Amino acid sequence: MITITRVPPYLTVQNGGRRNSRSLGVPRGGAMDLFAIRAVNAIVGNSLEAAALEWALGGGAVRFERDCVVAIGGATARATLGGRIVPPCTASYARAGDELVVDQLTSGRFLYLACDGGIDVPILLGSRCTYLPGRFGGYEGRTLRSGDTVKLGERPFSRPAAGFHSGADLMPRYDSEIVHVTRGTQADLFDESDWRTLTESDYRISMASDRSGYKLEGPAIRNSLGMLPSEAGCPGAIQIPGDGLPIALMADAPTVGGYPKIAVISEADLPILAQRRPGESIRFQLITIEQSQRALKRRGSDMLTISQLASRS
Amino acid sequence: MFGTERSAELLHEIHSAVRALEAARIPNVEDVVPAYLALTVFYDSLRVSYREISAALLAACDRVSDFGKGPTPRTHRIPVRYDGPDLDFVATSTGLSVDEVVARHSGRSYTVDLLGFVPGFGYLGELDPALHLPRRAAPRPRVVAGSVAIAAAQTAVYPLDTPGGWHIIGLMQTVMFDPTRSPPALLAPGDTVKFERVQ
Repeated sequence: MITITRVPPYLTVQNGGRRNSRSLGVPRGGAMDLFAIRAVNAIVGNSLEAAALEWALGGGAVRFERDCVVAIGGATARATLGGRIVPPCTASYARAGDELVVDQLTSGRFLYLACDGGIDVPILLGSRCTYLPGRFGGYEGRTLRSGDTVKLGERPFSRPAAGFHSGADLMPRYDSEIVHVTRGTQADLFDESDWRTLTESDYRISMASDRSGYKLEGPAIRNSLGMLPSEAGCPGAIQIPGDGLPIALMADAPTVGGYPKIAVISEADLPILAQRRPGESIRFQLITIEQSQRALKRRGSDMLTISQLASRS
Repeated sequence: MFGTERSAELLHEIHSAVRALEAARIPNVEDVVPAYLALTVFYDSLRVSYREISAALLAACDRVSDFGKGPTPRTHRIPVRYDGPDLDFVATSTGLSVDEVVARHSGRSYTVDLLGFVPGFGYLGELDPALHLPRRAAPRPRVVAGSVAIAAAQTAVYPLDTPGGWHIIGLMQTVMFDPTRSPPALLAPGDTVKFERVQ
């Protein structure tokens, strides 16, 4: 069990998201940074799809009520466990009663905290992830509060060695200025100059950005197309609404929508955008679907490397 | 992509293809999402190539000879209190009286075209042509759950609090989505919906 002793401004239970529910209007959901949540799971010896805590917007503290292996990753945090500094993406052993204190998130937006055994909340529509707009999933469909206790699952058979660390070279380059995109379903409806605008401008993450989408501020892209008949969108799709300012759809994005989609963020790079805070910038670079799939395969093999190193440590 | 023009036949074809794909249980398919002109399939591109999955999807659609057999459509009667914040605006914009707007909205049956946007949100058609209005220029940041709204040729119920750009003409209390229920969504594509005026 974990007790939330001092809740950060945002704390939810998440995992890899839902499958086979989008035709009911239920978004994929799950962690904003799928690579980071899977990496911290791998480091503590969990299945990659185990549930972990998604933490944002500030510091806080949680207490472990049983011995467990814990790891944090994603956003960079100043954190201590039982008074000792917790390095990122490292297996740390917590004794029952130890408190993990996150002082502050120094860079990035979403911190993931995994414990061996995973967070044990009921499975709804095939997943343990929290969908806040629908008030379901995760812990009673809501953000956690101080005093809440969340159950942990059974500890995995094999445990990584204390101090096992996944190198930064196996993680996405979160400081990259470039986020790669492929052509979207309505790419052909935009002309050369629209594409130059999209790929040669700096776009800043707006304050109007949340788990459903990041509004981007920068040069507007002409949208003379208006609304099209609704069709499926997905996390990473970049749609151009009437005001011309792109919206990157994120984990909780509506399943279908009518704005034209000029591009789709390469799945390998989506964690980089997810970890950008309002006010920070990115630049888009166009690649082919084949290049995008190769990049995703590299991420997949990096994840496999992390899992294998953890199980052998 | 199945076509470029919206039609009932096209939508029928797309929903039939969804059933065919669901029945085929193709490995590595993560989700199937029907819409007006296209059917989108999400798959695990780390485990299967685009070429392989396309071949499997097309073969599954071909194997089904009769696309028509779906679950038996149901009819839902949804009581509505017609006092939404945009009711007067809709009356003024259409040149109809408020009573006439309500009579035209509640006076016909609607077909559930598809579910999407947020859990349990059904796109219902076809609205009385006299009530067709474009969406609001600026969407509301928050539309309360239970709002009954119209836009262009469609009407819908908002199952949960969400931003929204449709014109809100009424409020209802029916539970449209409950993840613990089976099936979780009240509506299914092909079902019929009738709105009934209550005070």
